[in-house]
Amino acid sequence: MKRKHVFRRNVIIFVPGLLLGLIAGLVLSAGREAPAVTRQASGNMAAIKMLQALAPARGYLQAHRGVQDPLGLLGGPVKVRIRQSEGGVFVALPDHRRLDKDVFGTPRLPRAYGGTPGINGVPPILRDVQESRYTVMKKKSPFGDKYIVMADGKLRLEAVDATATDAAQSHDSVRMEASWRDKKGNTYTVQCCQMLATHGVEFPTFGGVVTNHLLHGFTRLGTALMPTEFTYFAFWGMGSVSKNGKVLDHPRLVHGMLTEYVRTQGYRLAFDREVTPTRQQFHLMVAPFKPVMKEGRFIPSPVKTGFTLPNGVELPFWHVMFENLEVKGRRG
Amino acid sequence: MVERAWLIIIRFGEYLLKQQWVGLTIIWVLLLAAGAEGIGRRVGEATPKKPAAVVKMTDQLTFEPARVTIKAGETVRWKSASLLVHTVTGDPALAAKPEDAALPPGAKPFNSGNIKPGGQFQHTFKVPGTYRYFCIPHEGAGMIGVVVVQPATT
Repeated sequence: MKRKHVFRRNVIIFVPGLLLGLIAGLVLSAGREAPAVTRQASGNMAAIKMLQALAPARGYLQAHRGVQDPLGLLGGPVKVRIRQSEGGVFVALPDHRRLDKDVFGTPRLPRAYGGTPGINGVPPILRDVQESRYTVMKKKSPFGDKYIVMADGKLRLEAVDATATDAAQSHDSVRMEASWRDKKGNTYTVQCCQMLATHGVEFPTFGGVVTNHLLHGFTRLGTALMPTEFTYFAFWGMGSVSKNGKVLDHPRLVHGMLTEYVRTQGYRLAFDREVTPTRQQFHLMVAPFKPVMKEGRFIPSPVKTGFTLPNGVELPFWHVMFENLEVKGRRG
Repeated sequence: MVERAWLIIIRFGEYLLKQQWVGLTIIWVLLLAAGAEGIGRRVGEATPKKPAAVVKMTDQLTFEPARVTIKAGETVRWKSASLLVHTVTGDPALAAKPEDAALPPGAKPFNSGNIKPGGQFQHTFKVPGTYRYFCIPHEGAGMIGVVVVQPATT
């Protein structure tokens, strides 16, 4: 009887593990040098589509994305104003994200694997394993411990969170301009939002703006590579990326959020149990992906940032932190 | 200019004494004492004390050196070598984590407010003991320093 129980338990663990392994194997090969065999390439695409189909918010999004007249927030709209008028910013560099057990589980019981790799979950095959635990994501992403500081960080943001859920229409709004300057004197600017993401592609956007909510980490709202963080304000919309006043990339998916402090000693990106709840920071993200709304999925697309890394490669995303903030919020 | 003003005041005092106007002389002495204290205080503010230690604030979110030792009555100066805005805050009431700030018994809390890139701040430590201070925006990232104040030698 006991042996039968153990066998059933092993099957429960082994079968999904095998399935994930197969999917992840295909995903890994998708990341290697250009495959000569077309069949393999289409297999990789199929694997990524299978992962995307596993994004946990699919059902929620299907129920909400067509809503023409969504309900408002309980208690009324929230108006938000955020400013940084002096001081520098932290610019994240590509790095291998350390994997938090609280978010990603263990090799025996993995969590957070569905969705577009990096945008939502991380397939097990992209995770390094040591002594039966996950260590880092094998590929570099915008979510790591490496950073540089740039001067003259300025942020002006005014937003309204009125619509409660994802929908086809929204009464939310965002006007944001953020800029910073490199050592050579070049000024980089991100503006948003000509259009808000009134509904998400793989995870909810709550009409384009959300206030007072948990995001990332275990929530699966956004990438699991960021720790679970209480978010006072966040938005998703389409904006533009400029250098010295010249637009380099447009339209780009821009995401910003005011959260509790998720950096720790030496500016390492925190695990869930390391966040500082009583400090705030603003994160600005222009991701190296583009949404394909008709197909409900993301495709890789490096951002034309105009900033060249020491290895000669253009930084393919902006992930910028502002930490010298004035924040105002009120209902009504 | 200041010397000439003092000369006039003293001559006026001598005149009052010669005339034996006791009441006016007492008022003159009191005013003289108050004026001297006020001028002295202003001169003290305008001329910052030479620091016993200088601590740099960096883009790596560190105070360098992270620990300095001075004598009671001496001053520490913090200089920003950073593009970021920092603070020097020795106030347990402002700390996110209680262990990031500590003052010896009887010492008053201090807080620089925002120090812009290139700016500086200094504080004179009168009470001996160990002071643990932090930077408000970067406390979470471990930007913490220590000042050890030894009793002044007599």
